[in-house]
Amino acid sequence: MSDAKVQVRQLTKGFGELLVLDNLTFDVRPGEFLCVVGPTGCGKTTLLNLLSSWWTPTQGEICIDGRAMDPKTQNLSFVFQESSAFPWLTVEQNVQFGMKEKRFPPELIAQRTREVMGLLDLESVKEKYCHEISASAEQRVVIGRSFALHPDFLLMDEPYAQLDIKFRLHLEDAILALNRSTGSTCLFVTHNIEEAVYLAQRCIVLSNKPTSIKAVRTIDLPYPRDTCSPEFIAIKDEITEMIKWW
Amino acid sequence: MNGFSERAAPRRLLRLLPLLSLLAFLSVWHLAALCTDLLATPLDTAKALAGMLFFPTSKVTLLHHVWASLCRVLAAYALAIAAGVLLGVLFGWSRRFHDYCYPIFELLRPIPPIAWIPLIIMWLGIGEPSKIAVCFIGSVVPILVNTYFGVSRLDPTYLKSAKILGAGQRALLTHVILPGALPSILTGMKVALSSGWVCVIAAEMIAARKGLGYLIIRSMESGDMVHILVAMILIGSVNFLFSWLFSKLEGVVCPW
Amino acid sequence: MLRGAVGICGFLLLWECAVQLGAVSAQQLCPPSQVAAAFFTKLADPRPDGATLGAHFIASSSVALGGFLLACLIGLPLGLAMGYYQPVYLLANPIFELLRPIPPIAWIPIVTLLLGIGAQARIFIIFLSAVVPCVINAYTGIRHVPERYIHVGQSLGMSRWRIFTKICIPCALPTLFVGVRLSLNTAWTALVAAEMMASVRGLGYMIQMGRLLIQPDIIITGMLTIGSTGALMSALLSLIEKRLTKWGAER
Repeated sequence: MSDAKVQVRQLTKGFGELLVLDNLTFDVRPGEFLCVVGPTGCGKTTLLNLLSSWWTPTQGEICIDGRAMDPKTQNLSFVFQESSAFPWLTVEQNVQFGMKEKRFPPELIAQRTREVMGLLDLESVKEKYCHEISASAEQRVVIGRSFALHPDFLLMDEPYAQLDIKFRLHLEDAILALNRSTGSTCLFVTHNIEEAVYLAQRCIVLSNKPTSIKAVRTIDLPYPRDTCSPEFIAIKDEITEMIKWW
Repeated sequence: MNGFSERAAPRRLLRLLPLLSLLAFLSVWHLAALCTDLLATPLDTAKALAGMLFFPTSKVTLLHHVWASLCRVLAAYALAIAAGVLLGVLFGWSRRFHDYCYPIFELLRPIPPIAWIPLIIMWLGIGEPSKIAVCFIGSVVPILVNTYFGVSRLDPTYLKSAKILGAGQRALLTHVILPGALPSILTGMKVALSSGWVCVIAAEMIAARKGLGYLIIRSMESGDMVHILVAMILIGSVNFLFSWLFSKLEGVVCPW
Repeated sequence: MLRGAVGICGFLLLWECAVQLGAVSAQQLCPPSQVAAAFFTKLADPRPDGATLGAHFIASSSVALGGFLLACLIGLPLGLAMGYYQPVYLLANPIFELLRPIPPIAWIPIVTLLLGIGAQARIFIIFLSAVVPCVINAYTGIRHVPERYIHVGQSLGMSRWRIFTKICIPCALPTLFVGVRLSLNTAWTALVAAEMMASVRGLGYMIQMGRLLIQPDIIITGMLTIGSTGALMSALLSLIEKRLTKWGAER
């Protein structure tokens, strides 16, 4: 698909004799919210490390906007499971960090900071440091920092895995709102299938090691999704079955 | 598996760097020694070290000097452990004792052990007791402080559980407090050994008739560079040995 | 707090009585009152060792701070570079590990023979002792920067240098300060040793002279001055540290 924002072609990663990722090929459309699910230990972290250019693939390539992925010229963002908010900066400085590094004009930085902190409810704590706010607020700071860039490609690795359930639901809506308002292409990795079905427009199911793509499920339900609706539950069960058998 | 290391220089080249570094160091030393009259070359130093291990200087071989220093430090160290742990436990255990006496300790603590040497020599002369006393002061402080911290920072739930199970005061001490504070105490003991060694050398440098400190000062007074270097190497080696032994000990005594 | 004051007063009283009542020889120990008197006299009186307390104090502090600042200026960047750039570590570490076990006082003879007993020699000895904690803590500070912070910088396309200066160094700041505090402590101790063995001025020299002239009041005055100066410098440093790292340690 030439109109794909992100193209992953024959992505393979091995460590010596061990083959972790085997020939992954998929596209991500511009502004799409894509989820990746799979059994535990199926190489999701390896995939993320490759997609964020932390590691280089053994084979294959990753292209954004038709060119090879390059963090210096393109805007990439990564939200880790553990908080990666910088403790020596205030909330506001954290959110602005990426934009400042990419040398955005000051008015744009101010505008985007307001926009993102408003959506994530961070205005009230903007002068505080990380050790003074809660864990969920910290994760929101990181998410804010990532989205403020309006990144070409935003990766998230189970950002809510370590937070309370009540924060998860609220934050999931916030992420969807940010995805829509910034138009960023998002890839969200999770082992929580309900979360994946709630968020994704498409869902990639990975197999066990050596990991390949088991299936790609398009989820056509309208937002905001009702987790109790029969269609939702049907899709959730379908994906769960796919993972269980592998 | 860091992204940086994947782009680093070829591994074989990197592995040579430490070796190159040591060679460069020895070469610079050698060159400097050739240029000035004062410094001795690495080779001369090595020869002197080997020679001194077996042939006596001033009626006492090198090993006697090392042994003299070691005896002093170990004697002082044993006393320091006894006193330090005792006082540390007392400070941590009794609020009253801590409130009355800890400030006195805090008043004396900033004074470096070396600064005690003149006073102690005035009191105890220049024989063995003064060296052991100085070394004791240097060693007892880290042990005391670390024991105190270890005891006072003990999770109160441990003590509560033990009391609920019916433990008496003595059992509480030996089975809950000391084991709980042990990692902290061991850290203090490690620092104390190094600190004590330094103090003994310092005391010997100021007033002694044998020991490594005495050796190095006497060599300085007679301008004997080779023996200064030999003494330095020995002092450093013993220090290193102490650290190494201690790390091994820690692994055995405190596997948690 | 009150108990502490009581404790100290009790200690001083005991001390005073012990000497006054003859339990301890006046030759060997002088009562606190005499120490206090000596302190005030020495502030203005250059006898018996040739300089007032103030002059000794300035001589000591300037040399100590000189060596300490030199150690920070050289040791901190070296440690930071060793932690971040592997080649630097591989080159510098063997030499560092070789020289580290040698205690600072053991350097005094060789430095004295090569550089004499002037202020430069003492500054060098202090530098040698103070540089060790700076290097070690700077190195540890960088090594403990969580990898995900560097990953964030890298995915933002930051250069290695920028990651070093904008992420690693701020993150390592608390550990750096621990090293700097330790370094100041070590510098002060090394100073006293150097002055006791190879100097003609300074607080260390003063207490040595006190011993040779059998004047315990001078010795104790010197000891207490040394102790309180060390404590004061440490406290000042802690204050600066609190200001610069008000964001607190990581959770």
